[in-house]
Amino acid sequence: MSDFTLPVPARRWRAGRLLPYLLSLPSLLVCIGIVIPFVASAIYSLQRYNLAFPTGRAFIGFGNYISFLSDPSFWNTVEVSVIYTVATVGIELLLGLAIAMLLRERTFLNNVISVALMLPLMTAPALASLMWKLMTNPGFGVLSWAVSLIGLSNFKWASDPHTAMLTVVLVDIWVYTPFIMILLLAGLRSLPPAPFEAARLDGVPARFVFFRVTLPMLSPFIVTACLFRLLDSIQQFDIIYAMTQGGPGDSLMVFQVGAYLDFFQYTNVGRSAALLMVLWVITYFLSDRFVRQWHKLRERRQGHA
Amino acid sequence: MPEPVIRVLRGGALALILLFFLFPILWILLMSFQTNADILRIPPRLGFTPTLSNYVALLSGKLATSSGTLDITFLRNLGNSLLLSVASVAASLVLGVPAAYAFARYRFRLGESIAFTLLSFRFAPPLLVLLPLSLYFQILGLTNTYGGLIWVYQLITLPLILWIVRGYFEDASPDIEHAYRVDGHSWWRTFTRIAIPLARPGIAAAGLLAFIFAWNNFVFALVLASADKQPVTVGALAFVTAAGIQYGQIAAAIVLSILPTLALALYAQRWLVEGLSLGAVKG
Amino acid sequence: MSGLEISDIRARFGHAEVLRGIDCRVAAGETVVLFGPSGAGKTTLLRAIAGVEPAASGVVRIDGREVQDLEPEHRPLGMAFQNFSLYPHLSAYENIASPLRARRLRSQEIEVRVRRVAELLRIGHVLGHIPRELSNGQKQRTALARALVAEPPVLLLDDPLRNVDAKLRYEMRLELPPLLRKTGAAVIFVTQDFREAMALADRVVVLREGAVLQDAPAEEVYEAPASVPVAQLFGDPPMNLLSAHLVPEGNRVRAEAAGMAPSFADLDITHLERPFLGVRPEDVLLASRPAGGAHAEILAVTPLHDRCVLLLRAADGTELVASVTGAAPEPGTFVSIAGARHAVLFDPVNGHRLAISGARTEVAA
Repeated sequence: MSDFTLPVPARRWRAGRLLPYLLSLPSLLVCIGIVIPFVASAIYSLQRYNLAFPTGRAFIGFGNYISFLSDPSFWNTVEVSVIYTVATVGIELLLGLAIAMLLRERTFLNNVISVALMLPLMTAPALASLMWKLMTNPGFGVLSWAVSLIGLSNFKWASDPHTAMLTVVLVDIWVYTPFIMILLLAGLRSLPPAPFEAARLDGVPARFVFFRVTLPMLSPFIVTACLFRLLDSIQQFDIIYAMTQGGPGDSLMVFQVGAYLDFFQYTNVGRSAALLMVLWVITYFLSDRFVRQWHKLRERRQGHA
Repeated sequence: MPEPVIRVLRGGALALILLFFLFPILWILLMSFQTNADILRIPPRLGFTPTLSNYVALLSGKLATSSGTLDITFLRNLGNSLLLSVASVAASLVLGVPAAYAFARYRFRLGESIAFTLLSFRFAPPLLVLLPLSLYFQILGLTNTYGGLIWVYQLITLPLILWIVRGYFEDASPDIEHAYRVDGHSWWRTFTRIAIPLARPGIAAAGLLAFIFAWNNFVFALVLASADKQPVTVGALAFVTAAGIQYGQIAAAIVLSILPTLALALYAQRWLVEGLSLGAVKG
Repeated sequence: MSGLEISDIRARFGHAEVLRGIDCRVAAGETVVLFGPSGAGKTTLLRAIAGVEPAASGVVRIDGREVQDLEPEHRPLGMAFQNFSLYPHLSAYENIASPLRARRLRSQEIEVRVRRVAELLRIGHVLGHIPRELSNGQKQRTALARALVAEPPVLLLDDPLRNVDAKLRYEMRLELPPLLRKTGAAVIFVTQDFREAMALADRVVVLREGAVLQDAPAEEVYEAPASVPVAQLFGDPPMNLLSAHLVPEGNRVRAEAAGMAPSFADLDITHLERPFLGVRPEDVLLASRPAGGAHAEILAVTPLHDRCVLLLRAADGTELVASVTGAAPEPGTFVSIAGARHAVLFDPVNGHRLAISGARTEVAA
């Protein structure tokens, strides 16, 4: 028998019960620190609150929201945001999918290329905007020079309300297409090889394989990537603000840029909060879908593991 | 379509794609080694004598122009970025790893609520929280303080750490930890000697990714920081609009600003896919 | 008492009661085999004793001291897990040394003890390797060494031979009993293999769906299973269960089925209709030459170890299994069922054992 014993604690109560709460206490504090401002925003959105007119602050219920309905600048915001979101996500999905298909095989060269393509994603979007701003500078920008070669002299890029959207969409595509590519590439490479080998043996044409086999099997990844990007694009701030601060005019006045300017330039806290709450409702709906999709994808991965 | 034709088309497509995605970075890199005269030359020329004067100006903090010597505070922006990113990630790791462990090992309602809240706010518009915070910070005297900024940066870094590390803890079998407890070790020793070492790859990946996101952040510092505490993302923008700054230095500033994240990304590329999709997809 | 004592151990997962009030005593130096099918709750019971099952309740006493309110690290026991649960980032040496480090022994002392137990289990030569580099057999013995090294008063071994190849399994079956006896610990050994149970056990506790069906020495569980489920679980090929006619014969009763008619004493047959007659295949007596006994057709012949298993159809149509040593008869031939060397009678309604016939063991019915 052993000649040593384990120490016995004096008290017999199981501290184990408290442990999870203790461990997550700091995170709880951070949580509270988020929820309080959020609630504040919700409250402000129900108020007529302008920092320049402190005495005029009053509770007006859904007044801010109702006035949106008849406010052309609100609808402009909605329109601009939707156009931006659809354009960026749509093009990025197609482009990302195409690149992923091209790089599908696990060769050394393909791996090197996919790593190189990751670099734009790692640059800060605000700095990416800056880079493109320099490249599209009408005076010396290399892109301005390049398009002048094909006859488009005096192309104003972001300074022209007609081409500003094109410019920022281009920057967004540059930054975020790699994200979709990475996700879809990982998805493609995780697909079981058997159906594709069978199709090749049977001589099935490539287009059929793509639309009837690849795409359906890839769809959970596509949906995940799509939702993720929709969430980001509808609330895009960095790229647009760094490029034009919402201008020229209000041709790029998307939700968050609009709210920012409402708050800092026009000190209209109530309106800015209401605008953000509208955006929040949209993102809440989308993120709920995303989390569900994320769980499904994770279970799939664990099923294969 | 014959095989070699496909191969050529594919090669051509990839070349175009690489050109599109890498060109801006390379161009800015080139621009950072050019004098102002070279930059303003149209049409742009690839051949030029490179100069380090832009970098020297940034790193020494002094720029000699025709109208006298200007002080450049870009180095301070770099320092701010470094401080904010490192400190935020460190704080998030200290807060998040134990919490992730608690969420993975114990099923308790509060844990689910915290995890849900933090994740849902990862996707919520940041201004929703930042704008009221800017008012509160003024009252609390936290405006333009490192402490206030690091705390707010937790909004970026903490959810990431929680979700990625929790996944790693969940994937590890609890039986190994049970065996260690039965051997006679306390839960703290089990946590530090068994759970954390076995989750080390996940913790490292999460930390690196959180660093990249913190470094690249723009709107948080824009709202809550003033000139002397701004990171490079905001600082570079301010750089641009100040009169008398040369384009070469802007380019050099951009290069210095993106270098850390690009280097880290290359170093940690294996984990990026997992991290970016919050663990839904393996790299 | 020294050793392990558990009372009323319960565990509930959601709405399912996984353990329904288990009582058991294991004396110091005794090896009790916990036997049962998967899902019976065996692992859950061990985890409850060790303190790593939060959903469990009940009283656990080690050497007379109550430990159920203590954290696992304060309970004096060693456990070998089903999937080894070795620390993947530590060497085999460090794995085994872990309980000694927890007890803050000096390094020299640790070295002596680790090497001693490693030599005993013949893994001294792989101590420097990490688990990934070890074979299954070496991993199993490392896990066992880790459980033994601190000489705890209680050992919980959860199917430690499951993932081990057949040859090593057989060797360990011979080596383990003296090894365990030498430690003087109260041992609970979990297995689903009844031969392993018979080889290792001082006593067998049969567990099914969270409840103890029988707690008795191995021979008794084999000869006199307490109920139909025990009879079916413990034995391979499983015991024949035939519906029997009761024929009173003086102060005894005969139970007739498939040409066998063992007699039972002290049986109250009022309200008893068509009980189950349980006869193990090796207890079915056959005569090759039809000698007035009932004829049975051999439907199939399967070799099993050193014997042959025959599927028979008796004259009354029932099918049963018999096993014989020696030459394998041909399917399609006939044999004569002479009787049953040993039989058990079960209640057809609740499955409980009613009586035993045959002189193999003296056991109270």
